[in-house]
Amino acid sequence: MFGFFKRKKSASVAKDRLTIAIMSDRDRTNAYPFMDEMKAEIIEVVKKYIGVKGVEIKKEIDGDLEALSIDVELDKETIVKA
Amino acid sequence: MGIVIAVISGKGGVGKTTATANLGLGIALNDKKCVVVDFDIGQRNLDMILGLENRVVYDIVQVMDGDASVKQALIKSKVNDNLFFLAASQSKDKTVLESEKVQKLVVALKEDFDFVILDAPAGIESGYEHTIEFADAAIVVVNPEVSSIRDADRAIGILDSKSYKVKNGEEVAKYLIINRIDADMVQKGEMLKSEDILEILSVKLLGKVPEDKGVIDASNQGKPVILDKKSVAGQAYMRIASRLCGKKVDMKDIEVANSGFFSKLSGMFR
Repeated sequence: MFGFFKRKKSASVAKDRLTIAIMSDRDRTNAYPFMDEMKAEIIEVVKKYIGVKGVEIKKEIDGDLEALSIDVELDKETIVKA
Repeated sequence: MGIVIAVISGKGGVGKTTATANLGLGIALNDKKCVVVDFDIGQRNLDMILGLENRVVYDIVQVMDGDASVKQALIKSKVNDNLFFLAASQSKDKTVLESEKVQKLVVALKEDFDFVILDAPAGIESGYEHTIEFADAAIVVVNPEVSSIRDADRAIGILDSKSYKVKNGEEVAKYLIINRIDADMVQKGEMLKSEDILEILSVKLLGKVPEDKGVIDASNQGKPVILDKKSVAGQAYMRIASRLCGKKVDMKDIEVANSGFFSKLSGMFR
């Protein structure tokens, strides 16, 4: 960075950057392999009662606590059973 | 009954096909019967590395479609009677593969060979998924470089979710080959160390292969570099192949520069 100080070796910069990038890749993509199937099933269940446009499942990590938040976007036009 | 190993990388150009060819030949040199299969449909390359491009008559798509038998399509290596090769189709594209047909082919090959090595296409699309689906184990090839390692992690993630074994509650063994290591750069802190790469990817190390100009020279001639006894990469592939065949071969530390007094001296001040 600044000329006279010992510059951080690029390999350790690479390690730090990779660790963070890969952690966020893993969270986003293969949090759970069954995610797509679960989404489809949730849509089926909700559809029995009310129209549904889509389902979004997010994994949230707060310290040691891991949570799945499931957002169901409703389709108000097609209420099946009110 | 043999074992099916997929050679994967995520990113292209890291030496996956070179590794497949050399490990196949190395296994054959260890007196095991081995077939290497090019799964990179539409971008056939393994034939060139093995020097067998002129012998290809039938390809795997023709075998899977029943237009040719496995026996007709298998090509024997010029240099070793234990090594056989199945070519990828050059005219079709990756989308032609179907799970059931892939499984049938893989099961048939397992009957006849000790090792069935599948050279996966780069990327993580359907062609890749079909290659890993029925593999018992995977060899991940990376370069000590950020984009290769990141892409490898994605490929491993897909392996862990889409493999037939994993879906049936079993585990797919994964082993890492770190290719194109430059010892001087590692010593200077300009290239990732193996231990860091292993920590990031959390897979077991199968072997390290040093950078070696002889690899290109070998592929120019269609003679896998493992045949060159003086080549450092060739020696590394031989060690790895022997490990795969169950021999105990110590990990050689190729990350320590061995070029004489000066580098050893500078090593003391780290």
